[in-house]
Amino acid sequence: MFTQYFGHYLLNRNLVSLPQLHEALDQLQSTRVKLGVLSVNAGYMSAAQADDINQLQATMDKRFGEIAIDKGLLTEEQLGELLSAQKESHLVLGQALIDQGTLTLEQFQEALEQYKRENYLSDEQFEAIKNGDIDVLVSTLLKLDQTKDNEWYQQYLSLLAKNMIRFIDGQLFMEVNAIPRDYHCDWLVLQRISGQAKLTTGFSMNEQAFLRLASAYAEENIAAPDEMAEASVGEFLNLHNGLFLVTMSNHGVELELSPQEISRDASLPPIKSGLLITVYLSDVSFELVLSVD
Amino acid sequence: MNQDVTIVICDDSVLIRKKLREMLEDLGYERIHEALDGEQAVAIAQEHRPEVVFMDIVMPVKTGIEALREIREELPETKVIMASSVGTQTNLKEAIKLGAYDFVQKPLSAEAIKRVMEKATNRGES
Repeated sequence: MFTQYFGHYLLNRNLVSLPQLHEALDQLQSTRVKLGVLSVNAGYMSAAQADDINQLQATMDKRFGEIAIDKGLLTEEQLGELLSAQKESHLVLGQALIDQGTLTLEQFQEALEQYKRENYLSDEQFEAIKNGDIDVLVSTLLKLDQTKDNEWYQQYLSLLAKNMIRFIDGQLFMEVNAIPRDYHCDWLVLQRISGQAKLTTGFSMNEQAFLRLASAYAEENIAAPDEMAEASVGEFLNLHNGLFLVTMSNHGVELELSPQEISRDASLPPIKSGLLITVYLSDVSFELVLSVD
Repeated sequence: MNQDVTIVICDDSVLIRKKLREMLEDLGYERIHEALDGEQAVAIAQEHRPEVVFMDIVMPVKTGIEALREIREELPETKVIMASSVGTQTNLKEAIKLGAYDFVQKPLSAEAIKRVMEKATNRGES
């Protein structure tokens, strides 16, 4: 998930263009991170030293790892460790962007450092995020929007991110926004939670996103917004909320779910305060409505 | 053997009814009836006297917990398996108290359905 966050970060900082980012994300499956990128990321050598080795490599028939060991920049053990880390995905994104010629290795490293500074991340937090810790990522995401209901939001959004990745799409990015006035929904799938707290949860989406989510969750192509599409999106929200209730129950908080309500061309119901979270998948986006009433 | 067992699937989601029916048909069960809410489940159970009922909890009209209570009162031989995403302590305790046979946490997997059906029909390999 960090890959998508970092990709959007590069985009927002104008370090890459949208087509470049899409191309790089598309390449993730087939890209292998080169040892130079991995060595610099692990702190074993500087970007300049890695570039030197790359240049040397062009003049002799030797692998990167062999040259690095010859020059005393890597030990055998470090090389083994790097070879096993070759699939770490934010680095795969970096490699794809470097291969495209969009960024240099130095620029990629600098952007990572900048991301860490701008999000006030400790070394520990940043490591956790890079290693795919969704709880830490969501908590740093929510730091941008301090509310007293943050604890609920944190639990809810962490679990949503995990369920989205598990059932819908591995390429996930979420952005927190306030709910604008006169917000209108093409499709609104709503479910209320009651008990020790009252929450309103829902997905607001256009038809394309509605069908995309429906097809992914049902594991079959759903081409029209029919009964099956409604059932699929509704059931995904119901499943996620059910699992949220189980998590809260394990923490001693008992909650209840009402049946989902699905409507077309709808406005949001009156809610006191809440969040609108834009959820980006690889090809569509939609809004998650979440409020503690 | 499995052909003799009558099953009622009660879930307000057409997707879940379809997926669960497919899983049961793959196991060789043929006598499968569907109900869209708790009230229909009670009526269909009275009519067909099933061996097994799969019961969702969060449903309109009548919840799965209420339907469980009524089916257990009227058809004590019927095994009611709760199949829900909401496996909270409250729901689990309530379901056990009312005599639910088992609880299957959603998302449903073919493996979990196979296991619970083998147990309910005493056809496991134990």
